[in-house]
Amino acid sequence: MLLTTCRGNPDESGMRNFMRIHSGRARTLESAVGVLILLIMIATVVGIYIISEAGSSPGSVSQDYNMARFGITSEQEQQGDFTPVGKAEAYNNDNLYEKIDGKAPMYQEAGFVKLDTQRFAAKSNSEIGFELYTYDMNNAKNAFSVYSRQKRADATDLSDLGASAFGYVAGNAICLSLGKNYIEMIGSAESNELVDGMKGIAKNMAVQFKPGEKDKIVELGYFPVEGTVAGTWKLQIDNAFGFDGLTDAYSALYKSGDKSVSIFFSRRKNADEAKTVAKNYFDFLITNGGKAVTVDSEILKSAGASVVDFYSAFEIVFPAGIFVGGVHEADNKQAAEKGAEVLIGRLKEIND
Amino acid sequence: MTEQNQENIARRQVLIRGAKAAASIAAVVGVARWLYDPKGPGAKKGSDPFFGEAKGLPDFSVPRKDGQVISIVKGENRAKTVNKAIELLGGIERFINPGDIVVIKPNVGFATPSILGATTHPDVITAVVKLCYEKKASKVIVTDNSINDPASCFTISGISKAASAAGAQVVMPRDSYFSPLTLEGGSLIKDWPVYCAPFAKANKLIGIAPLKNHHRSAASMTMKNWYGLLGGRRNVFHQDINNIIAELAMLVKPTLVILDGTVTMMTNGPTGGSVSDLKKTNTMIASCDMVAADAFGSTLLNLKSADLPYLAIAEKAGVGTVDYESLKPLRTEVT
Repeated sequence: MLLTTCRGNPDESGMRNFMRIHSGRARTLESAVGVLILLIMIATVVGIYIISEAGSSPGSVSQDYNMARFGITSEQEQQGDFTPVGKAEAYNNDNLYEKIDGKAPMYQEAGFVKLDTQRFAAKSNSEIGFELYTYDMNNAKNAFSVYSRQKRADATDLSDLGASAFGYVAGNAICLSLGKNYIEMIGSAESNELVDGMKGIAKNMAVQFKPGEKDKIVELGYFPVEGTVAGTWKLQIDNAFGFDGLTDAYSALYKSGDKSVSIFFSRRKNADEAKTVAKNYFDFLITNGGKAVTVDSEILKSAGASVVDFYSAFEIVFPAGIFVGGVHEADNKQAAEKGAEVLIGRLKEIND
Repeated sequence: MTEQNQENIARRQVLIRGAKAAASIAAVVGVARWLYDPKGPGAKKGSDPFFGEAKGLPDFSVPRKDGQVISIVKGENRAKTVNKAIELLGGIERFINPGDIVVIKPNVGFATPSILGATTHPDVITAVVKLCYEKKASKVIVTDNSINDPASCFTISGISKAASAAGAQVVMPRDSYFSPLTLEGGSLIKDWPVYCAPFAKANKLIGIAPLKNHHRSAASMTMKNWYGLLGGRRNVFHQDINNIIAELAMLVKPTLVILDGTVTMMTNGPTGGSVSDLKKTNTMIASCDMVAADAFGSTLLNLKSADLPYLAIAEKAGVGTVDYESLKPLRTEVT
C-alpha cells in the first residue's frame, strides 16, 4: 500500500527516500549511543565489583617482595642480618585502619598516601626480628609531623643519617623521617643485636631515600638558636593544642636556666591573619576555662601578648609579623614569659 | 504516504520505544534491588554449622553482690594477681559453673608481640583458662575479631599458643560468624554486623583487656575491648568513638571483665610500637562493672574519668558506676 502510494506520487517518493536516509542515519546514531551507554553501564558494574572485592578482602594487598623498596640492596641483603618473612603488605586510605586501627586518623589527617609493611627475621635467630612500616606521607612536612608527634621521650637521636633526615632509637624501635617517608622498625624484642642490625638498615634507607634540599624543614631554623633543645621539635599540621584554627604549628622545648618551656609558632599568610589567629586562640582558651592574667614582661606587653592561666598551666599567645607565637603548658609563669620574649626576638629577625 | 499515516507510525514508534525504555529501567531497578544488601558488609549470614544459629548476644552477667563488684590487686606477676583479683570477688565458682561453655574475649587487634602491650598478655589468658577448667567448664573458647590477618595476630601476640596450651579452643573470625544486630535505643549499632556465632552456645563471657592509651578515645580498656566484636568497616565509628564505646558496653553484658594494668601503654596507643611507650603500673583489676573498671583504669593513664566521655554516657545508660570508690573496691597486693 505504501509502495503504491509512493509510486503514484513522485514528490511523495522523494520525501520517502529523504526520510529513509535520515531515518537510517538516526537509527545508526541511536544504536551507537545505545551501545555506548551499555558499555558505560558494564564498565560501572565491573568497577563496582572490583572495588567491592578489594574492600571486602580482609587485611591487605599482598605484593611481590622487593628488597629495594625497603632501602635494602641485594648486596646488603646477602650480607645482611635479616631475611624477609611472609609477603609484603600495602595499605591505602581505605584500609589503613585494618593495620593500625585507632591510630589511622592521625596519619590520614597529616596527608597519608600509602603504607608498605614487611616482616624480617634475624638470620642468626629466627625467633626475633622486626616489622618495617614505610608510610608515604606525600611530602617531607607531613612525614616530619607524624614522626615528631610520636617521638618517644627517652629517644636517642640517630645523628649519622645525613642532612634533612631525622631518626631515633627508643628501646626496641627505630623511627625515621626521610623525605616524604615516615618509617618505623618495630623490633620484636629488646635486643642490642637486633637494634644494631636495624640501625644498619636505617642507614641504608637514608641513602636509598636521599632526602634533598626540597625536603628540608626550614622552619626548624626559626627557633631561637640558643636555648632550643635540639630534637624536641614537633609539627602539628592541624588542630594544634586542640584548637582547629591553629595549623602548621611548630613547637620545641626552650631551656632557660633550670626551667624548660614549650614554645611554638605558626606562619600565616600575612600579619592580619596572624593577629586574627592569635586572638581566636586566646578566645578559645578563655572559652574553655582559662583565665587571663597580668602580663609582667614589657616586651610581651608591647608585642600585644596575652597570658592565660589554663588549669594551673600558663599559656602565652602573641602575633609577631606573619607569625603567631606563644608558649604552651608552662609550669612557671616567669619561665614562660622569658621563653616568649626570646621567641618574639627571634621571629622579629625572621620577619625582617 | 499521508500525513495521517506518518503521524500514526511516529506515534507507534514513540509508544514502542517508550515501552522498551520502561522495560530497560524496570530491568535495571530489578537487578539493583536483587544485588542490594540492606544489612551491609559482612552481615549476610547469621548461622554457622559449627556454632549453630547466632541469635545476638545474650546476657552473660551474674547476680550482683554488693561489696564484691571490683577488685584491684597490685603485683608484677600476672598469674598471681589475676587469680587474687578473681578470688576477692568470690572466687571463680561465683562466675563459672560445671559444664559452662565460656568465651574469653581478649584484645588481639594487632599482630605484635606481647612485649609491646598492644594486645592482651598471654599469661592472663593462661591463668583464666586454667581457672575455668578447674571449675569444670566444659569448654573454653578464646576468640576475637582481629581485623588484620587474625592468624598472624593470634600467633605473634602469643595468645593462640597460650590458650591452646591451657586447653582452650582458639577461634578465628569468619564471615559466617557475623550477624546483623541492632541495639535498642542505640543510634549507631543499627543492623550492623556483630561477631556473634562463637557466643551462640556459650553461657559465660569474660573480657580481658590490656590498659592502653588510644589516639582517638584517649584510653582503650574493658569497654573499648568490645570494639573487636564489630564487623564491616568499623573504622567509620571512629568519628563517634565515645558513643560507639558506650553503645557496645550497653550491647554486651559480660560475666566478668579483667583489666590488665601490669604494664600500661602510656603513649602512642593503641598500637604503641616501642617499649618506651610502656610503664610498669603493676595493677590487675577484675570487675563485674565495666564502667567502674575503666574509671579506675583511667587513673593509671594519669587521666580523670571526665577525660573519657564514654564513661558518663555508659553510666547514664545504666551500664555501671563511674565513681568506683563508691563500690568499695577490694584491694590487696601479691608478691
